[in-house]
Amino acid sequence: MKSVVEFFDRSQASPTGNELLSGQGRLAVLVSIVVLALFAPIANAYEPFWLNMLVRMMIFALLALSLDFIFGYAGLLSFGHAAMFGAGGYAAAMLITDVTANALIVLPIAMVVGAVVAGIIGWFSVRAHGIYFAMLTLAFAQMFYVIAFTDLPATVLGLESFTGGDNGLFGIQRYETFGVDFTSTLLYFYLTLATVALSFVALLRLSNSPFGRVLQGIRENEERIQFLGYNVQRYKVLGFALSGAFAGLAGGLYVPFQSVSHPGLLHWMISGELVVMLLLGGLGTLWGPMLGAGLVIFLEEQLAGFASWEIILGGIFVVVVIFAPQGLAGAITSVRNDPKNVVTNAKRAIRNYVDKVRK
Amino acid sequence: MSGKDVGSPHSHTTSRSSISRRTLLASGAAVGATTALGGCLGSEDNRLTVGFALPFTGTYALLGESIVAGFELFIEQQGGEINGREVEFVRRDTEAETSRGVDVTRELLLEARADAIVGPVSSAVAMAMIQPIQTESSAIWFNANAGDYRVTAEGCPEYHFRTSFNDWQTSAPLAEFVYEEVADNVCLAYADYAFGQNSKEFFKEAFEDLGGEVVEEVGAPLGTDDFSPYLGDIQGSGADAVYSFFAGDDAVNYVNAFSDFGLNEEMVQTGSGFMLANDTLPAQGESALGMYSLLHYTTTHDTERNREFVENYVEMYDETPNVYACQGYDSAQAFAGAVEETGGTDPDEMAESLVEMEFDSPRGEFEFDPETHEAIQNLYVREVVEADDGESVENEVVETLEDVEGPDWGCSHR
Amino acid sequence: MVESVLRATLLGLQLGMTLALIAAGLTLIFGMLDVINFAHGALYMLGAYFGTVIAGQFGSFWLALLLAPLMVGLVGAAIEILSLRPLYDRNPLYHILLTFGIAIMIQGAIIQIWGAQSRQIPIPDLLSGTVAVGPVNYPVYWLFVLGVSTVLIGIVWLAIERSDLGILMQASAHDTEMVSALGIDVSKVFTGVFVFGAILAGIAGVLLGGSRSVHPGMGFGIIIEAFIIVVIGGLGSFRGAVYAALLIGLVTAYGALIAPTLTELFLFIMMAIVLMAKPSGLFGATEAA
Repeated sequence: MKSVVEFFDRSQASPTGNELLSGQGRLAVLVSIVVLALFAPIANAYEPFWLNMLVRMMIFALLALSLDFIFGYAGLLSFGHAAMFGAGGYAAAMLITDVTANALIVLPIAMVVGAVVAGIIGWFSVRAHGIYFAMLTLAFAQMFYVIAFTDLPATVLGLESFTGGDNGLFGIQRYETFGVDFTSTLLYFYLTLATVALSFVALLRLSNSPFGRVLQGIRENEERIQFLGYNVQRYKVLGFALSGAFAGLAGGLYVPFQSVSHPGLLHWMISGELVVMLLLGGLGTLWGPMLGAGLVIFLEEQLAGFASWEIILGGIFVVVVIFAPQGLAGAITSVRNDPKNVVTNAKRAIRNYVDKVRK
Repeated sequence: MSGKDVGSPHSHTTSRSSISRRTLLASGAAVGATTALGGCLGSEDNRLTVGFALPFTGTYALLGESIVAGFELFIEQQGGEINGREVEFVRRDTEAETSRGVDVTRELLLEARADAIVGPVSSAVAMAMIQPIQTESSAIWFNANAGDYRVTAEGCPEYHFRTSFNDWQTSAPLAEFVYEEVADNVCLAYADYAFGQNSKEFFKEAFEDLGGEVVEEVGAPLGTDDFSPYLGDIQGSGADAVYSFFAGDDAVNYVNAFSDFGLNEEMVQTGSGFMLANDTLPAQGESALGMYSLLHYTTTHDTERNREFVENYVEMYDETPNVYACQGYDSAQAFAGAVEETGGTDPDEMAESLVEMEFDSPRGEFEFDPETHEAIQNLYVREVVEADDGESVENEVVETLEDVEGPDWGCSHR
Repeated sequence: MVESVLRATLLGLQLGMTLALIAAGLTLIFGMLDVINFAHGALYMLGAYFGTVIAGQFGSFWLALLLAPLMVGLVGAAIEILSLRPLYDRNPLYHILLTFGIAIMIQGAIIQIWGAQSRQIPIPDLLSGTVAVGPVNYPVYWLFVLGVSTVLIGIVWLAIERSDLGILMQASAHDTEMVSALGIDVSKVFTGVFVFGAILAGIAGVLLGGSRSVHPGMGFGIIIEAFIIVVIGGLGSFRGAVYAALLIGLVTAYGALIAPTLTELFLFIMMAIVLMAKPSGLFGATEAA
């Protein structure tokens, strides 16, 4: 059991996102963005629902990115990212209903709200390590869930409704900014794409800044960093708050798009799904989790018509864990580096599995 | 947005009536330009598409399956077509989860190009579906179970037709029966979430208007497994009767605990019909004996129309139908009626025609209120009795409240 | 008032002991195998479903109580051997994804096989009805559940603290290499622990299936509660899990008397406070890492 605690402290995630800084990596990112931007109008004309799915994939990619930043770098596994996601979402819902639908005002506030919630959770939690940290974030996020579900603020403040209880806040409009109405899904898609792309660049930069290196150092050897005179706890809280800001931003994009903010956004199942996205995609690569997020959304959508979708989805998780431990990113990298031996590698993986079961 | 002029139902109708889409597609198939057209015209062959936005997994899966079964039974009885057009079903799992509800609704509207949306089961999902359905304005919406009155009260959505019930209908009208036949004082026990709170408030208001007294209110969180602490409060209230709203697993746990602790010997249990319905009674068994409840459909209701429905249903599925199956069946009836009446699937025309119709349902005849689009229907007070086989229990209708009209929720559609 | 408190106390104890059956397996599996088993709730649920099937088929509650947990044990063995065993040298984080996937699969399979309708395990006439406990009438079956689970927990306690097997189990958790040096097959011990945990969860499933409704959501419904217990008791500590389960059981029962909607919130606050003040858990000082 020691190993669990140790592992969480010193996750063996690869040097984060480094391959993205190479010339080839930048090109790949740029090409993906351009392809998405060009594909959108075609999707819109041919099959509008794809566009709808793409928007959600990108929003969850952003959410996964925010978690990978804090987990891949500082080694802080948050099992409560739903709290920041939901907080950003509720903030956006309330602002749009009562104040303004201007994205340039609402989205930054959603980020601030996400950062504040993460700051609070982080401040209480960072002294704990590994699995204990994960459990603490889970506990705090569930508190937010219960508070939203029972609409505790309304009871305390004597209002008729604040979070809207179990029904949530519904009928939320989409953004409207300086005359541009994002009600059309195509425009909303571009808004999302731009936001996600900017966030991606920002987080990548941040990861490789001196700040990011300290976080990385904390993951590798917390005591040494402390010894060097850094305030480790403060760095962790700050890193966690930054991650929370982007989670809040994802919430701020998601809620107006869905037209509803509800307690389900804060539930641990979202946090759990998010961890699944990271593992499926490939931890600590920044781009892997984004792919993982897209894949999970895609699978859920494609399987929604099957009565037995839970068996299929669960089965995919199991197979990936056993046969592709580095996730999608690992599989893609291995195919790219060694295209000829794909079949041999697959065979080896299966033989390996059988040997271990027989042990 | 291109596509089949989703935003404008009028151009939609004209294009539909003009050329048979299948010929159009066949003739144009060779030309590259038709790809876009194909996209535009989507379900262009002559089929009608029904989209089920219902839970097929999780706690409410049974409800989703029953609604689909009821719907499909009616269509099957029409030879699989309405007005000479084949009916195609697309089912999407909402997982009874709000976000998924929005996603699948959009998918059904945009991708499957559904002509009718049937669902959902939970009210939170229904509330979240209002906006997508209104925005696309491309389909008629049969709400086959979500009963929160606010789905109507929130802007009276024009394509929304409640083929099921609302929370006022399954609570308030019972007050008179309780006051006159059972007791003039009650304790309220309810699942503490929107639906439970609404139900108890509606009942309370009606009961107090009649001069009855509510001596205690006991709320238990949704998903409570062990009711014994709450039973203490209920017993301690000293009331002669209890009015409750619980459904599904909560209902099973509550009713069983109520009788396990012997409260059924001291006070009379009454409640919304979902507490004592086909999906809960097998697990409640003898614990439920002697309890009263109010619902708009009862499987054992002895009318010719219902006997025939039950027979057909049993023949097709080898199961007795429940209230959800009846709601699904009536959604199909309403859809078929609207398509036949208007000769097409324009949602505005369908909506107009629906308020003119009267439906011959297994639950008794019903029609839609032209203002609220709620069903004006009979409500039945039932008592749980031993079934003829001597082993199981069933509901017996003890009083019928005819054509109950509810509040108008501030709606005036026309 | 006295009656309410007495009733809540009895419920709290019963809840506590049944939760202990579930949490014990979870904490042992974590302590010895390093596995955070998200599928543990699904095993509990399987126990309840197997129980309804056996009791329905043969009309005997007692047979269900005997056989269903063994069947859950078999499922547990299959899970451990086919999916966990090849992953022990892997980063424990992946166990979360794996067991999460398995939990979803079991839930889906249950809906496919038995449908989503609520069920209940019929209890024998011998255990139906109520009996007077001081001033309150309490259901005989609930007292039976309290008794059986208390006895079971007692036996397991003795087995773990006293018997050779228990000592071996503890040893393999602390030092696998030494145990294998003794010529003992560690992977068999691991399988044994997992199966044992599964059986305990299965028993809890059958016992609670007689008083609560049995439905496909019950697995995920109980898992977080079980985690709270394991965390408060100290990860990996059996003793801690039992004490914490009793604590949570009583808090839940009394909470329902005082502020029903806030009880859940209070549980999470408790969990957070324990984690911040004493991460090794309230009761597991020496055992947890």
